[in-house]
Amino acid sequence: MSIGNTDETVATDAIVPDSITATALPANGDGLVSRKPTARVQVVKPLEVSTDTAQKHPPNSLRNTGIVSVFFWLVDELRRFIGGGSSSAANDSKSTGSTSTINLFITYFNHAILLIIFFIISIYKNYLYVRRRIHLKFLNLTYFPNKSPHIIRDDVNKLSRIPKRVSCIVNFKDEEEENGGIDGLINDISELTAWSVSAGIQELSIYEYNGVINDYYLELNRYINKNLKNYFGTEYVPNISIKSPHSSKVLVNKPEKPIDLYVNLLSKVDGKPTIVELTKTISELAINRELSVKDITIDLINDELVELVGSEPDLMIIFNPNLDLQDYPPWHIRLTELYWEPDNKDITYAVFIRALQNYAKAKVNVGK
Amino acid sequence: MAQWISTFPGYNWLLTKVKKSFGAVVREGPIPRHVGIIMDGNRRYARTHNIELKEGHSLGFESMASVLELLYECGVEHATVYAFSIENFKRSSYEVKWLMDLAKSKFKQVTQHGELCEEYGVRIRILGNTALLPPDVRKVLNETEQITKNNKRATLNVCFPYTSRDEITHSIKCIVNESIKQNDFIIDQSTIDKFLYTRDSPPLDLMIRTSGTYRLSDFLLWQVVSSDCAVVMVETLWPEFTPYHMAKILLNWGFNKYWYGSPQGYRARGQPLPRQYFENEDEDEGEDEDIEDQESSDRDLDSLINDEDDTMTSQDSSDKEQK
Repeated sequence: MSIGNTDETVATDAIVPDSITATALPANGDGLVSRKPTARVQVVKPLEVSTDTAQKHPPNSLRNTGIVSVFFWLVDELRRFIGGGSSSAANDSKSTGSTSTINLFITYFNHAILLIIFFIISIYKNYLYVRRRIHLKFLNLTYFPNKSPHIIRDDVNKLSRIPKRVSCIVNFKDEEEENGGIDGLINDISELTAWSVSAGIQELSIYEYNGVINDYYLELNRYINKNLKNYFGTEYVPNISIKSPHSSKVLVNKPEKPIDLYVNLLSKVDGKPTIVELTKTISELAINRELSVKDITIDLINDELVELVGSEPDLMIIFNPNLDLQDYPPWHIRLTELYWEPDNKDITYAVFIRALQNYAKAKVNVGK
Repeated sequence: MAQWISTFPGYNWLLTKVKKSFGAVVREGPIPRHVGIIMDGNRRYARTHNIELKEGHSLGFESMASVLELLYECGVEHATVYAFSIENFKRSSYEVKWLMDLAKSKFKQVTQHGELCEEYGVRIRILGNTALLPPDVRKVLNETEQITKNNKRATLNVCFPYTSRDEITHSIKCIVNESIKQNDFIIDQSTIDKFLYTRDSPPLDLMIRTSGTYRLSDFLLWQVVSSDCAVVMVETLWPEFTPYHMAKILLNWGFNKYWYGSPQGYRARGQPLPRQYFENEDEDEGEDEDIEDQESSDRDLDSLINDEDDTMTSQDSSDKEQK
């Protein structure tokens, strides 16, 4: 530091904050105290570098806010909030430095309100969960198929109409879960098949996101037949055809007899990826001049997708606690009636029959 | 009672204030970026309240304006409304005419009082097969699109006349056209996304259907099947659907996202997780692989990687050009 004394004083004049000069000014009257500013300046001097940055922007503006000032700003902000835009311009010019603090405070305030609301919602949701679970337990007791097609038929006969094609979204649970693993899934599907046959549904689609079931064809077929024997007796076993559109496997038990129920196993590859594949095929045809762009119509694509995936279901039952479509084929849910039971996690007959009852009540009017 | 209160002076002023402060609170939590609405129930409302069909439709429009105001206050960037389906042309000719007239008058209002849209900064876009519309209506719609083109704050997509199957078919047509022009045109799911009408909007986060019908009725089918999108079906008819209902839905959406990480609520065992979980994981894995590559590779390999990067960027730029 080779700067002369005079230079130092000039430099310090620039650095000294307003507050210090304000306290120093009245003291100038006394000869003794006149040294005071220089003494203070010496304290400030080592901070020369840091004060430069401090003059630009304080790193944390919260430091110089007391509770009283926050209160004043809040009152100010409230006044501005109530008064609208007219008075805000005058206030803004006075308190530009404090607006960030106000905003910060308001942010915290709003966040606190939101968290309180979320807390209340969580309590309410827990209450709803308990209520719905009790309701479902009660429903499971009242609607129990007891492995008898007559009971199902009685329930269905009360309905004004039943869907031809039903689609079910099911989950693959872990081995450790109750009714989980591949055995659990096969068990659920065979139950669904038996209920569908008893209800007189013609086509049943099972959608499982990962398509795990496609590797267990024979086991599934065996188990379904075993379960159908439990329901219908050994003399007359309904004829089932199991099909997986993606792997183009078809399994029919008795090819010579009419088929009572078509089971369609779908997974996520039958959704958007199939439409992408179709697009590729069409563009290849178009490049080879076998198809013109004008010929691509909704009907053409619909026909192709019906061939590739299957027809649009009339009713979709989602065996999940929420309405989650899990990348279900998008083309095929145009007018499908969606049904799910909130907070239900299991595949039960009560949910199945309630879905059918709901479908009977609904009215379809395309566009009208 | 509610109607009686609404006759008080300053009611609308208070309502906008309440909407503003509610929006400020909700913005603190997660917010859907793109909301789709099926506005169903105008006719049934008219029938049950013994008013003309025409009246029902105009009430529906008012309810839409009110709900949209709340959505934009809450920070929703894109809203897509199902105004008219291609199937709606099947309705009686005079009703179609009313609907067309209503649309024309409302859009004309927007173009004449341009400041209204400027104040909210809403850009209006028309989605759908506009070739099916009468020419005078199409002209008005185009003008509206042009005038509001430069607004940035929020976007309102009006589906007029629209069906999702038509949209997917349109997308496939465009892709086929492109692939005829370019030899090495890559077709995958994102390509179809890029040619949909909603290409300029973020992925759909929330879909609302009114009037107690549990069907999607050919609206945004491609966008809605994703696990990241919550579908909410409410019993109220559209003219009765108030910002209060909307506020409840928004809070519930934010709560589910905040609490369970999925906009649909808690998930059952075995239910696949929303895509965003995997996206994050993929990113992490990708970074790890990069680090390993760098550690194990010689300079030659490094140069190879750089080459790859170059090709990647060139692809990206070509993608942008396509956009």
